[in-house]
Amino acid sequence: MEILTNGVGLSAVVFFPLVSALVITLIPKGQEFLIKVFALVSSIITFVFSVLLLLEFDFSSADKLQLGNKISWIRSINANYEIGIDGISLPLLVLSTFITVLAIIYSIEHLPEPKSPKGFLALILVLETGMNGTFVALDLILFFVFFEIVLLPMYFMIGIWGDRTVRTVAGFKNQIETRLYASIKFFVFTLFGSAFMLLGFLGLYYRGNKTFSIPELIELGSAGAFTGTFATLVFAVLFLGFAVKVPMWPLHTWLPDAHTAAPTVGSVLLAAILLKLGSYGFVRIAIPILPEQAKAWAPAIAILSAIGIIYGSLACLAQTDLKRLIAFSSVGHMGFVMLGIASLTPIGINAAMIGMVAHGVITGLLFFLSGSMAHTYHTRDMGRLGGNMKLLPKTGALLGFTAMASLGLPGLAGFWGEFMALLGAYNPLDGLNVTVFRTSMVAGAVGTVLTAGYLLWMLQRVNLGEPSEEWMDKELHDADAYELAAWIPLVILTILIGVFPKLIFGATNDAVIAMLSKAFGG
Amino acid sequence: MILDLILPRRSKYYVAAFALLGTLFSLAPLVVQWVNYTNPIYAFEDSFVVDKFSIIFKGLFILITYLTFLLSINFIESDKYYQGEYYYLLLSSLLGALIVSSSRDLLTIFIGIELASTPMFLLSGWKKGDRKSNEGAIKFFLLGVLSASLILYGFSLLYGLTGKIVFSEISTFIINGALQSSPVLLLSAILVISGIGFKISIVPFHSWAPDTYEGAPLPVTAYLSVSSKATGFVALIILLTKVFSSAGESWGVILAIIAGLTMTLGNLVALQQSNPVRLLAYSSIAQAGFILAPLSVAGITGNFQDGIFASVTYLIIYAFMNLGAFLTVQLFSNHAGSTNFYEWGGIAKKSPITGVLTTIFFFSLAGIPPLGGWFAKFVVFRSMLSTGEPIGLTLGIVGAVNAVIALVYYARISKVIWMDELKDVDSETSFKFESPLKVVGVFTVLITFISGIFPGIFSYLGEVSSIFFGN
Repeated sequence: MEILTNGVGLSAVVFFPLVSALVITLIPKGQEFLIKVFALVSSIITFVFSVLLLLEFDFSSADKLQLGNKISWIRSINANYEIGIDGISLPLLVLSTFITVLAIIYSIEHLPEPKSPKGFLALILVLETGMNGTFVALDLILFFVFFEIVLLPMYFMIGIWGDRTVRTVAGFKNQIETRLYASIKFFVFTLFGSAFMLLGFLGLYYRGNKTFSIPELIELGSAGAFTGTFATLVFAVLFLGFAVKVPMWPLHTWLPDAHTAAPTVGSVLLAAILLKLGSYGFVRIAIPILPEQAKAWAPAIAILSAIGIIYGSLACLAQTDLKRLIAFSSVGHMGFVMLGIASLTPIGINAAMIGMVAHGVITGLLFFLSGSMAHTYHTRDMGRLGGNMKLLPKTGALLGFTAMASLGLPGLAGFWGEFMALLGAYNPLDGLNVTVFRTSMVAGAVGTVLTAGYLLWMLQRVNLGEPSEEWMDKELHDADAYELAAWIPLVILTILIGVFPKLIFGATNDAVIAMLSKAFGG
Repeated sequence: MILDLILPRRSKYYVAAFALLGTLFSLAPLVVQWVNYTNPIYAFEDSFVVDKFSIIFKGLFILITYLTFLLSINFIESDKYYQGEYYYLLLSSLLGALIVSSSRDLLTIFIGIELASTPMFLLSGWKKGDRKSNEGAIKFFLLGVLSASLILYGFSLLYGLTGKIVFSEISTFIINGALQSSPVLLLSAILVISGIGFKISIVPFHSWAPDTYEGAPLPVTAYLSVSSKATGFVALIILLTKVFSSAGESWGVILAIIAGLTMTLGNLVALQQSNPVRLLAYSSIAQAGFILAPLSVAGITGNFQDGIFASVTYLIIYAFMNLGAFLTVQLFSNHAGSTNFYEWGGIAKKSPITGVLTTIFFFSLAGIPPLGGWFAKFVVFRSMLSTGEPIGLTLGIVGAVNAVIALVYYARISKVIWMDELKDVDSETSFKFESPLKVVGVFTVLITFISGIFPGIFSYLGEVSSIFFGN
């Protein structure tokens, strides 16, 4: 269908949620049912659009940017509305529209305090526009705008619907509610990164024939247009912008706070999609445009990733808060993704791609489960939980399954990303320091053991054993239909990707190889 | 052509409606001029010009004044007396601003600047019974007189050096006589920058602004922070490009330092504020730093078109989002009866629309896409980095850090009104959102969104006006 191939379909995936959000703001507050149905339907329509694009996508040339368009946007600075997808962005785009549907299904019955579905659902849809837009944008300025659009909805989601526990924070005289502290920390950290990233974009613009078009800049970059101190500086600021978002150690400190404070759905979207914007930025922009710099920085990135993996796992072992544990596990898992990217090999970057999707699915599910449990038990303290299998058999079973997937059990989605990232690090791109990478690989391997350790320990503390006295005479509700409807698809996806990793590689492989051979030759 | 100057003055009848209609009608000749525009038209022996730059700014000044009138109607009516004088003074100030944007000689521009600022001395002390208002007005008046004398002193040096008053003749004289590096010229440039520095409240000439803003009636403050500031910037742009452009390297560095200091100091102090008006005062100081930065880089690199493009685009977008921010502050402080925004906890629940508006304007000021402010910041960064000059790069980094600092206090207001608990002190009073204010809200919010999503329209205005450097 022409409407799908000429960019209209792709634009619809990006802007339909935004339009729906505007419509929702016009529906009177009292009509809660209408609001919920409308949000659900519009997210499903967006998902259907993305599936239609998937069907229209020509997998035999997945290395080419497809289904896009380019029209003039801001003429005076030569920024264009240029969109398109290839094998790298397609899986992430579909993941994003898919997770949003599940997030809205879950929100129908499980709105965090203070309820108000109108604002909450509208924000989710605005967020979706930002996420989808980032994955399809092929113009640096367009990318930047979408990259930033996600900040406002997430800020308000954490700040209004977040965790109201009062706690002491270093540097603050008075005690402060977790949500207020976490929301502004999230905002300031990411804005700090992206403000500098914008300077880097401008640098590329001036050195690169005054264009913001990513494909054109990739051509220039692989022809060696960006060199010397200039390129080092630009890569440094791009690194800052993306690494904060991933987040890489030591820029990760906003993440545990944001995750712990965010409402369940906010955590899910944050983990499943928002973190991927950073690693996607590396694969889409930083590496292909500045290949030489990527090579120079790769060992440093590998070391930071390895530290992130070990640090994340150790931090997990020290947690008593279930949600915070999962948040720190994200730091570790994203460390594997970044380790794969740093190897600059097809196998490593493919690992990163499948790792991103798998992390989105698995950690998204973990946050759903932990959020739901926190809602049921009114605590996330693992010391007080226990015997979950007996109290909430369905949730407990799913938690067990997901933890297994998260620790990288072969046959489930989490396995491929970790395993192949280590393979990639064993044999990095020619010319990279093998010692550094193999050391990182060993660190990563130790990390997988630690990961298994903390997840199993978590299961032991939460799922197994006898329930403590305090839950005995309370009526606890196990997962209801809405929750299962949101979770089961993720379980199925975890198994499917685990058994048929080709679902992802089929799309990404050609694109990754083409990208790397353009950047590094051969 | 001159009709647009005469008309606002004719409308000094003692009714708000007439002032409103007058300002609106005075837009008509501008539209005609724009449509039929071919070449700049000079009048009065080259001392007065109509070009696209001046048309754009006249349009901007008239629109701002119109919106200020709308903001004022309810405020002034509650005051009962001096209505006519209020509108008359604002219109006089508008006339001054209009003259500035077209002026091409030393006398005309001086008259314009002073005509624009003198009425503001009176208006800022409008709340006669209020000590803060009196204090602010006195400070404003004293520093205003000082600034006028500095400007005048700078002009007299210039006249002494060249013997001319028309800009084009002065600049030819400087180039022909190879006076670019003359210390007198530099001194005169510094004096002029300092004098105008008071009007646009840049560091270290900013000290009056917070007190005066706090004391003045809110519509007047809004006008001060938008129109008066824009008038000063227009005068500065004209003088720097038309007179001092050849000495750009020396004043460029000074201006760059001032710009960096202005952003940083304005932002750091704004972090400490609990009064929304003072917060906006310091934020507008910081914003002035951003507007100034491209001009300073332009001075150093000689690429004036780029600098003017960035400054003008920023000024236009800033004008509307800042007016919007004042509107929301006016609404909430009227309702809460408190000028400490920490006491506005959860107030957005009383009027979600005003809450959304507040959020939009403040985050736009912070430069978060897709609101207009991001594009303004973007073009400024773009011009800072245009040549890779070390000073431009440094300014770029300072600007980026400042953008993050600014976010903290801009976000704080949204945090208080949305996330804090509603203090149910006077839950009985209904929220008042009068219809003239609604017009302002709709208008400014539309511009804030359009300039963010389709910045092309506004960058077009900036681009067109930057051409004026060549003429």
